Amino acid sequence: MWTRRDMLMASLAGSTALVAGAGLSGRVLAQAIDTLQIFVPAAPGGGWDQTGRTIEAVLKANKQINAAQVTNVGGAGGAVGLPQFVNQWKGRPNSIMVAGMVMVGALIANKSPVNLSQTLPLARLTGEFEVVVVPGPSPHKDMKSLVEQLKKDVGSVSWAGGSAGGTDHILVGMICQSQGLDPKKAAYVAFAGGGPAQAALLGNQVTCGVSGWGEFSEQVKAGKLRALAISSDKRVPGLDVPTLKEQGIDVELFNWRGVFAPPGVTDAEREKLTKMVEAMANSQAWKDELQKRDWMGILLTGKAYEDYIKSENVRIEAILKNLGLA
Amino acid sequence: MREGSAGAIAVAVGVVTVGIVVGWQTTLIPMTPAYAKVGPKVFPTMVSASLILLGLTLLWQAWAGRWRAEAEGEASPTDWRALGWLGFGLVFNVALIGLLGFILASTVLFASVARAFGSRKTARDLAIAFVFAMVCYLGFARVLGINMGAGLLESFL
Amino acid sequence: MDTLAQLANGFGVALTPMNLVWSFTGVVLGTAIGVLPGLGPALTIALLLPITYKVDATGVFILFAGIYYGAMYGGSTTSILLNTPGESASIITSLEGNKMARRGRGGAALATAAIGSFVAGTVGTLGLTFVAPIVVDFALKFGPAEYFSLMILAFVTVSAVLGNSAIRGLTSLFFGIWLGLIGIDLQTGQARFTFGILELLDGVNVIVVAVGLFAVGETLYLAARHRYGRDEILPVKDSLWMTREDWARSWKAWFRGAAIGFPIGAMPAGGAEVPTFLSYYVEKKLSKKPEEFGHGAIEGVAGPEAANNASAAGVLVPMLTLGLPTSATAAIMLSALQSYGINPGPQLLMTQANLVWGLIASLYIGNVMLLVLNLPLVGLWVKILAIPAPLLYGGILVFATIGTYGISQSPIDLILLYAIGGIGFLMRKYDFPTAPVIIGMILGPLAEQEFRRAMTIAQGDVTVLVTRPLSLTLLVLAALAVLSPYIYRWWTRARS
Repeated sequence: MWTRRDMLMASLAGSTALVAGAGLSGRVLAQAIDTLQIFVPAAPGGGWDQTGRTIEAVLKANKQINAAQVTNVGGAGGAVGLPQFVNQWKGRPNSIMVAGMVMVGALIANKSPVNLSQTLPLARLTGEFEVVVVPGPSPHKDMKSLVEQLKKDVGSVSWAGGSAGGTDHILVGMICQSQGLDPKKAAYVAFAGGGPAQAALLGNQVTCGVSGWGEFSEQVKAGKLRALAISSDKRVPGLDVPTLKEQGIDVELFNWRGVFAPPGVTDAEREKLTKMVEAMANSQAWKDELQKRDWMGILLTGKAYEDYIKSENVRIEAILKNLGLA
Repeated sequence: MREGSAGAIAVAVGVVTVGIVVGWQTTLIPMTPAYAKVGPKVFPTMVSASLILLGLTLLWQAWAGRWRAEAEGEASPTDWRALGWLGFGLVFNVALIGLLGFILASTVLFASVARAFGSRKTARDLAIAFVFAMVCYLGFARVLGINMGAGLLESFL
Repeated sequence: MDTLAQLANGFGVALTPMNLVWSFTGVVLGTAIGVLPGLGPALTIALLLPITYKVDATGVFILFAGIYYGAMYGGSTTSILLNTPGESASIITSLEGNKMARRGRGGAALATAAIGSFVAGTVGTLGLTFVAPIVVDFALKFGPAEYFSLMILAFVTVSAVLGNSAIRGLTSLFFGIWLGLIGIDLQTGQARFTFGILELLDGVNVIVVAVGLFAVGETLYLAARHRYGRDEILPVKDSLWMTREDWARSWKAWFRGAAIGFPIGAMPAGGAEVPTFLSYYVEKKLSKKPEEFGHGAIEGVAGPEAANNASAAGVLVPMLTLGLPTSATAAIMLSALQSYGINPGPQLLMTQANLVWGLIASLYIGNVMLLVLNLPLVGLWVKILAIPAPLLYGGILVFATIGTYGISQSPIDLILLYAIGGIGFLMRKYDFPTAPVIIGMILGPLAEQEFRRAMTIAQGDVTVLVTRPLSLTLLVLAALAVLSPYIYRWWTRARS
């Protein structure tokens, strides 16, 4: 939602940055980037923070930057941090923000006055699939029997997952919707995250659980939880878990993370940052990190990424509306 | 009415007011989806009702002079000058930490707290406060890399 | 036997010179911040989180564990000599300990607290080592219905700390519950009581409230009556050697405290507050001199202090074996674990054996260090309290500022901190107990969420609370806790 005033402010800020940048340009251009500013709209320790710190480490290892400074502004799925990035970081060169799908949902659900289209998307970097699991002793062996129970009585299937309106809840909504059921009726039991939801699953307190693969992978490997389906478009190599699509549920979802530049930076500046991130994502050091952290590299840049953000906004808003959250 | 029960009455009225505000805000919580069998308003309503009830009981106790502050409580008079200095330090800190930066704002906060506690050696306090704030800033911002925000002095360090 | 081999391996890790240095740094730092009122282990570890980018995971966790245990020891010193609990779990210690110090028995109080902490800390660490798998199996059977019933039991026992007036205590409790409800409702995603302030969507940070009430509120209160309360730091007049009677009255309380503290600490949502209250309650009931309670009864220090330390070990059980944080400190430690990319969970003991067993071994070592550091050197720690009041409180407020501003750089959090401080001042002035605010803030939302989870799972059938045997047992226990004084009175009357 760009108002005329915003446009004016942005162009003003942009030109100030240009003027300010002119004096520095000699030094800045000589070396790729001296100090990269990384804005993380989440508290230290979470997924975005890890992504930010990994970007820092890989860029340094690749000698693409000399140093980086990470700023954490946590709260409400990024709804607290984004306004700060959009307003106070406007036009700042050498700055990127780490964000992802969770922010899109959080902004819609919290009726935030700012949204991601006010930033300049640089690149989508990683993604994590969602997985549907049941406790070991559960009678359900595949999605088919779970869906049968769901169709018989929506309320009898209790789903454990992260907070209401998050990725996990969205997947539950999509599954119900695809079966012609009202997502609002799904008995969704929200926990503070995949970890706490695990306890309810291990104690066989709920019918099934939904969360990122990384949250449940240890338990699935230990045989304490059974993975019924994964939300990818096709099977993930090395994982013996069928997709939702294979089992007749036309749903595909992954929790993506990417980087953004603040509004008001020049096209040249944006181009430089995009090149930097692209080079990083194609480097061996980055690929090693992905392997180590169980992340999936799904690089997408430029116009395609910008369009992707727009379509995600539309898609998630529709699901949240059906869940009664937007 | 006993001496000092005016304050107690004010506190009791305050509790009732909080209860009413909680109740009013509860009515503003949006309608919720059907899946939550117990909605987000149930507990807030209970809290609001309890606070109003407790506040009214306190009000009655204060009115009847039955508010027995057994601890030191109201027995000792309040040193308003000390509170004034402290209040100044806190307000100054909130208002200017963004502008002046952590070091200067904390120096003033430290010195006004010292003043509130009866110290008259303002120059010494300011010096200690400055060194303390500086060490804290360097320790947290530089050694541990915590972002303590920018400021007048911070940019030069 | 496997456990013993693993533990031996852990000692191998913990006894390396570098890890010994981390452990020592942790316990010294922990004791110091425990001694300073207003600075708890959660706050300190939160402030130290950035070192996770510079030091290896094992070293960092040994450091954190040292801080965690050290703060428990140091906290009791302050509670006894200054009547300002450093953290919510040592509130009870100040009830009796401070009264003892006022009567010139500060030395005995400090000794029973330190030795009790050592005994219970060691018992608790032994429990962590050997009983963990069993406790975990039991705790795993808990569902939302059981948790809610457990909260009911906890709320019933809260009455032990409601203070002089039940009405004022309950007011504090409900105020705390309300503070806990602020933010986005987890179950439905709706904002509650945020008054349109974005920063409030994630709720009010319990650290901000605790620091606001205990550090800022206390500072305001002391400043306001400064000229009348110059003697707040009580001198230790007697010897640190406990008398024969002290030992006789203490040792059973230590073991009872440990027996109460460890299992409750190990239970999800257990924490350190409930067992200290329970222990106090039990000691008061069992004491041969119940009339001394409220005036400085040594059991009232020995039991809760032991319960506090044993629960600290207990809290590590769900944290290390299930990845479940049950206290603010554990939650912060877990987020440190995650910043190493280590997934907490049942596999942790296998995949990170060196880290976990090294940590457990360091707890045994740290406990010995703490006993040596605290008992003979208590005079040194008390010196921290001898810093002139103007400078001490100046420093505390600056630290409180770092704790909130340094993490979020949000003026909203600072305003909240000072506003809560102002409320804390009024509460102190009008004799409202402050501890129930924190209890309400922690337990209130837990009770609400668990109740609603239980109802969603049971499709709105309230009877699950009594048809599930574990839940029913907990509710019966809660009912007994309420009714037992009446039953006891009726029984004694009927007998005479």
